[in-house]
Amino acid sequence: MTRKLLFSIEIMVLILSACNMGSKGLDPGDAVKVAVASFEQQAAGIVEKTVVIEGTVLHTCKHGGKRMFLVDGNDSVRVEVTAGKDIPKFDEKLIGSRLRVLGVLKEEKIDEKYLNEWENEVKKPEENHDAGVHTGAKGHEDQGTQDKLDQINSLREDLKNSGKDHLSFYSIEASKFEEIKK
Amino acid sequence: MQTKTLRRWNNAIHRDTGYLCIGMTLIYAISGIVLNHFKSGDLIHPDYAKSYKEVVLPLPKDGNVTEAYVFSVLDRLGEKDHYKSHVLGTNSLEIFLSMGSVYIDLTNGSAQVEKKTPLYGIREFNLLHYNNIKKLYTWFSDLYALALIFMAITGMFVLKGKNGILKRGAWLTLIGILLPALFLLFYA
Repeated sequence: MTRKLLFSIEIMVLILSACNMGSKGLDPGDAVKVAVASFEQQAAGIVEKTVVIEGTVLHTCKHGGKRMFLVDGNDSVRVEVTAGKDIPKFDEKLIGSRLRVLGVLKEEKIDEKYLNEWENEVKKPEENHDAGVHTGAKGHEDQGTQDKLDQINSLREDLKNSGKDHLSFYSIEASKFEEIKK
Repeated sequence: MQTKTLRRWNNAIHRDTGYLCIGMTLIYAISGIVLNHFKSGDLIHPDYAKSYKEVVLPLPKDGNVTEAYVFSVLDRLGEKDHYKSHVLGTNSLEIFLSMGSVYIDLTNGSAQVEKKTPLYGIREFNLLHYNNIKKLYTWFSDLYALALIFMAITGMFVLKGKNGILKRGAWLTLIGILLPALFLLFYA
């Protein structure tokens, strides 16, 4: 009986391991190649296009691992990458690894309405972690309410100065990624 | 069908569903405790145990961060073999190790060494609890949730008499419903 049980567990582990191989073997095809350093300049013209990008993982979100940030050499530009439906999570062990990511470039428009809703979310006793703009800066996940309200006010200022009705934030919704070994 | 036969069926199905639910219940309960304390701020990370050490390190000569400087720092900390990569920030340097990192403030040399250990097992339980896998697991976990509802209902009719749902069971069931309701009333 014990042997049968152990055998069944072994089979289940093997099946689960096989299922977890989804993010291996990345074929960029005719995806647009983007670079971390010029991401902001390139992004506006390729929204909803399939892109491929390489960078070092600076941070992964500890609330479920659905988000990570890529940098290249320095942290002056951080590219937000979110996990697509076929990626279970970005594990923290990826931090510091060089990755090649394939995904679709997304635009998030931040307007007055968005900022008002975010402000209401921040003021709730049980805040929704997914609300708002994620920067990937060190300690951004441990920000207090006042820090977040300051961030919202700073974005309100940016929005006012931009002369437009919204600010654009770009990210990549990843469908696949692979580690680039040195 | 007679009440006695109905109760016999109820108990048999309740028992077997209970056996089937043991694995998932343990996964959700253990992971639930971890995520509960992560959400309340008692744990830094739900998947990793972390420790921190504050040290003071020499600053790079001429203020230039070179690979030689990075490795001299790691040599001093005994972490040379664990180097993965490094990233420069404004007045800071972060060196990534296979199981941790070193964050150096380049204005004064103060540094934080982070070491992390994966919480094997719990990490996988959290993956299931968050339903990060999606696909078929969404339906499987729905099935488990339905089984729990079914167990709760059949559980009410396992016993009859003084310990049944009409006597002692009624009070305990009422307490079980009132407690979460009180939390909502006072805290939400």
